[in-house]
Amino acid sequence: MGSSENQISCTLNSSCDCVDVLCSMVEVMGQRASLSDKQTNRMVLAVDELFANIAQHGYHGLEGQVDMRAACENDILSFELRDYAKPIADASALCTSNPCLNSELSPGGLGLQLICAVMDKIEHEPLPDGNRWHLIKYLNEGEDDES
Amino acid sequence: MNLEIDEVKQDGNATRLKLDGVVNIQTAVALRQRIKPLLNETCREVHIDLIGVRFIDSAGLATLVEGLQWSRAGEGRRFVLSGLSENVRDIFELAKLDTIFDIEDGKPA
Repeated sequence: MGSSENQISCTLNSSCDCVDVLCSMVEVMGQRASLSDKQTNRMVLAVDELFANIAQHGYHGLEGQVDMRAACENDILSFELRDYAKPIADASALCTSNPCLNSELSPGGLGLQLICAVMDKIEHEPLPDGNRWHLIKYLNEGEDDES
Repeated sequence: MNLEIDEVKQDGNATRLKLDGVVNIQTAVALRQRIKPLLNETCREVHIDLIGVRFIDSAGLATLVEGLQWSRAGEGRRFVLSGLSENVRDIFELAKLDTIFDIEDGKPA
């Protein structure tokens, strides 16, 4: 695990017993970004859901490497998860700036719905040997996160 | 992260499950295994006490939705949640499930 004042990084196994490590890292970043307890809980939720999606749909429940990097710079809190699963050619439907505003809530899409409700932006980059995902939260945007 | 589940049989055909810990992809399977047998023809009420739950994700919510579906499939059945912390309630609200479940406010008995 690596850490500096504004960022934390580590490598995890996608097996589920790593979820608690991931959540602890997000909590630390939330505190460093001076987020409220509720806001931090929402960040934990979003990262937890993305990690679960990678584990379930990327690695199909098998063990796989996930590199995680969290950073807080210039009023932007970002979480990057890099997997080495099969690259997704086109995840554009998931990765617009407001991807879920018009989507219907369905049981299968609940995790994505929660990520979208919490984060301001989701980015996906297919790589030759995997995928890179970015969850971005703009701080001090004036929106009422406590509502 | 663990989830402890205590089961208490109550008067009549009612059961209370008291949860303590985290309900996520890691623990939701165990919760489902405890809830599933309760969702039968003879049971009338299942009460899920979330007072000790610090965090819940979509896997946990989906497990609880199964109980909700059971309650809606038979007349007189209740699937009740209680003891939601502020953060857990916030996740129900984000999922737009807070108005769908039967949620009791206040501390459970």
